[in-house]
Amino acid sequence: MTLGPLLLLSFVAGLVGALAGMGGGIVLIPALTLAGEDIKRAIAVSTISVIATSSGAASAYVRDHVTNLKVGMFLEMFTIVGAIAGASLTVASSTRPLFILFGLLLLASWTALWVQRNRPWQAPATQDGLSRWLELDGAYDDQASGRHVVYRATRAGIGGPLMFVAGLVAGLLGIGAGALKVLIHDLVMGLPPKVSTTTSNLIIGVTALAGTSVYLAAGMIDAGLAAPVIVGVTIGAFAGTRILLRVSNETVHRVFRWVLFVLGFEMIVRGLRGGG
Amino acid sequence: MNGTGFVESASDRMDTIVGTLLLGGVLTSLALIIAGLTWRWLATGHTASVLDETLAGHDVVELVGADLRALGQGAVRPRLLISLGIVALLLTPYLRVLASMLFFAFVEHNWKYTAFTAFVLLVLTYSLVLR
Repeated sequence: MTLGPLLLLSFVAGLVGALAGMGGGIVLIPALTLAGEDIKRAIAVSTISVIATSSGAASAYVRDHVTNLKVGMFLEMFTIVGAIAGASLTVASSTRPLFILFGLLLLASWTALWVQRNRPWQAPATQDGLSRWLELDGAYDDQASGRHVVYRATRAGIGGPLMFVAGLVAGLLGIGAGALKVLIHDLVMGLPPKVSTTTSNLIIGVTALAGTSVYLAAGMIDAGLAAPVIVGVTIGAFAGTRILLRVSNETVHRVFRWVLFVLGFEMIVRGLRGGG
Repeated sequence: MNGTGFVESASDRMDTIVGTLLLGGVLTSLALIIAGLTWRWLATGHTASVLDETLAGHDVVELVGADLRALGQGAVRPRLLISLGIVALLLTPYLRVLASMLFFAFVEHNWKYTAFTAFVLLVLTYSLVLR
């Protein structure tokens, strides 16, 4: 592909990904393969662009003191090992299973977004010994309600190993796997939603670096492809997040969720037909 | 802000350091890559086929070494800018972990978290360099 179309495609992928409430990679990888790019190269390049999008987003949240650095740094120990394992699997794998897995991932994300309801956050009643020893607690100022929210995380002993799986998926498919991480923070560890999304952003950057290192060593990262993709996706995701803050219309989000569904279906069909 | 006592303000300071580092790294990387792509576009006049060079078999140390040698020879070319931009991007989370480890060790004297971040740093260093 030439530079112009590549920049445009990456920009749109970043924009649509952010509008659907996901990262850039989830639309970028199917889009690159539709444009004729090899799926393994698309995954490798997406992984490196995830470092840029997540670090950019994380920087603002960290400075607003919403991100919990301790929770992030504890869980990173699990995600980076998972990412290295996942990326190594992709390097060794043939393309067909990757198409099918990615398609299933898109359908799963679509389902997760579909059934997602705005449950009110309930603070866990007690903090277990391990989580207390790990100092997994914190406080932040909620800008929407103007309240000072104090919280304690729990079940670190289950959350940690589960984050290995989130890292594995991230490394394997070249995405941030933010939705999976948020799910673990929310449902298992009882973090407030704002803390779980912002902390997930912090973890995603380091996890993507671990995955990138494997793809770099395997010679799968092409500077000519990576450069425009990094620029396009990052600017697209930034624009998408800005738009998302203003557009609260549920039907708009629904339209973009259907994009995930169609792409997922299409990837599975291509995988079953032979991964071309 | 939400500063209540010394411990809180120390972690606030860490937030500022980490946040600034992440933002600075990403902006530096994007600026270098955009400069490289623009220069290349202006110099060649066409956008057809981007650089064909992969960063094949490179680990990060070799990559940085090659970039620095080229810089030393004054051979600043679009490709070098792009390569430096990618290196800046890779170093961003790495330096974030390094800075957190130093902060946990020397400012907060929190040995538990110094050990955790040291583990992350060790795994990243191994996977980036020792292959």
